Amino acid sequence: MEERLEPNEMIIHLGPQHPMQPGPFRLNLRLKGETVVDADIELGYIHKGIEKILENKTYLQGITIVDRICYLVALVNEECFVGCVEKLLDIEPPERSKYIRVILEELTRIQSHLLGIGEFAEFIGFVSMFMYAIRERENVVGLIDMVTGARITHSYLKFGGVRDDLPDGFKEKTLSVLNGLKKEIDNFEQMFHTDRIYRERTVGVGVLTADAAKNLGVSGPVLRATGVPFDIRKNEPYLVYKDLDFKVCTETAGDCFARVQVRLNEIRESIYILEQCLDQIPEGPLFPENSLYGRRTPVMRVPAGEVFHRVEDPRGEMGMYMVSDGSDRPYRVKIRGPYYPTLQALPPLIIGTTVADVASISGSMDGCTSEADR
Amino acid sequence: MDVTEILKSLTGRFPEAISEAIVESEIRARAYVDKDGVKEVCQYLKDSLQFDHLCVVCGVDYIKRNEIEVVYHIASYNHPVVLMLKAILPRENPEIESIVSVYWNSNWYERETYELYGIVFKNHPNLKPLILPEDMLGEWPLRKDYKGFPNKTARNLV
Repeated sequence: MEERLEPNEMIIHLGPQHPMQPGPFRLNLRLKGETVVDADIELGYIHKGIEKILENKTYLQGITIVDRICYLVALVNEECFVGCVEKLLDIEPPERSKYIRVILEELTRIQSHLLGIGEFAEFIGFVSMFMYAIRERENVVGLIDMVTGARITHSYLKFGGVRDDLPDGFKEKTLSVLNGLKKEIDNFEQMFHTDRIYRERTVGVGVLTADAAKNLGVSGPVLRATGVPFDIRKNEPYLVYKDLDFKVCTETAGDCFARVQVRLNEIRESIYILEQCLDQIPEGPLFPENSLYGRRTPVMRVPAGEVFHRVEDPRGEMGMYMVSDGSDRPYRVKIRGPYYPTLQALPPLIIGTTVADVASISGSMDGCTSEADR
Repeated sequence: MDVTEILKSLTGRFPEAISEAIVESEIRARAYVDKDGVKEVCQYLKDSLQFDHLCVVCGVDYIKRNEIEVVYHIASYNHPVVLMLKAILPRENPEIESIVSVYWNSNWYERETYELYGIVFKNHPNLKPLILPEDMLGEWPLRKDYKGFPNKTARNLV
C-alpha cells in the first residue's frame, strides 16, 4: 500500500486494538483528506487453530472446543457441530430435545442481537444505548444460564439430544422476561427512529444493494437488510423450524439503519417463536430410545463419510464440513463462519466514505473477529 | 430447481470435466471436477444454474492416497441445493486455477487454503497468508504430516 502513496495522502492503522472493533484485526486505511481511498484488512491476531485442534480431539471433546469459535453464539456453533455428527451417525433427537434446542438457540439469537445493537450504538457515540441493551441482555443470558449452568460456553448439546431438561418454572420466568423485552424493543425502535443524530449517522451510510451483497457473498441481517429473504431456517429447515410460524425479516434500504432495524424485527420474531415453542413443547425423553447415545455417551466411533450441515447463526449462514474416516476423531472439520465473508466485504464498502463512517459501517455488521480467525 | 436436473445439465455440458456425479439427498449433490476445468464449471453454475453463492472452499489432506482434495461448496440464494465439487491434486506442488473472477468471496478462502495446505491458486490477485504469520509459510499446518506447533514458531521466541 505504501508505494502508491501520493503527497497529500496518508495511511492510518485502525487496530489491532481499537474501541471500534469487535475483536482484534487491523484495518489499514489510505486516506486523502478525510476520504478513504483504499482499505486493507489483516487478520490472525486471535487465530486459535480450532480446525486443527478438532482433528486431535474426540467428537465428544469437540463440543467444548466449538463453543470457543464465537463465545456469543456458542449454542449455535454446537448445533452445527452436533448436527453434522448426527447426520453421520444417522440418528435424530426426539421431539422434546429439538424444542429445547430451538428455545435455547432463539434465546442466543436474542442476546446476540441485543449486544450487536448496543455495541453499534456505542460505536457511533450513543453510549447509554449500550447500557439499555446490556441490561435486557442480562435477563436473557440469565435464562440460558438457568438451563445450561453457564453464561457463555455451555457444552449443553449432546449427540441425539440435550444434556438436561428444562428446570421448573422456566416457562413462567421466560414469558415474564420476554414480555418486558417486547416493551423495551418498542422503546429502542422509537429511540432509533426519532433520534436525529442517530439517523444522520446511519441513514444512507454504507449502502449495499441486493446484487452487490449477493456478489460479495454475505448472509444474515446484512443481506436481509437489502431485501433478499435468505434464511437457512426457511431454505433448509433443521430441528422443528418447519412446524413453527415465523417470517423472514427484510428491509429494502440496505444501509446501517436498515441492518439495525432487521435485528430489532428479528428479536420480535424470535420472541414469537419462543412463545410458540413454550406452548407446543411435548413431554417425552431427551434421547432416542433404544439408542447407544445418551447423557453419558460411550466412547464412540463415527461411520466414515462426509457431510455439510448449515444452520442460521445470528450473523448469517453457519456451515460445517466434516469428514470422518471411521475413527473416534474427525478427519477434517471446516468451519464456515458467517462473519468471515462479511468482514471480507468491509473494504469495498468503506472505500469512498469518510473516516467517521468507518466505525458506523463496521459496527453495523455486528462482528465477531474470534469467529473469522477461528 | 431439482437436484437431478442440475446434475444432468452439468454432466451434459461438461462430459469430460465432471465425473462421479452423485445425488446424496434432495438438497445435496456432489461431483468430482477436473482441476483444469474448475473455473469454466463454476462460471456455468453461476450463469445458468443459479448457483450464485459460494459457501466455502477448503482443502482436505489424504496422506494415505498421497493426494489433496480442494472442496468447493456452492449454494444458491434461490434454491436450497448445495453442490459439493471436489478437485484432486497431487501432494507435491499442488496447483489449481483460482475462481476469484467468478465468485468474489473465494478470495480469502483460497488464501487460507494456500497458507494451510500449500495449494497454489493460479491467477489469484493477492495470494499471501491471511491468518498465519509470514514465517509460518511453508509449514502447511493442516497437512497430516505437520510435526506440531513448537517445531518452528517457539524456537524464534526463545
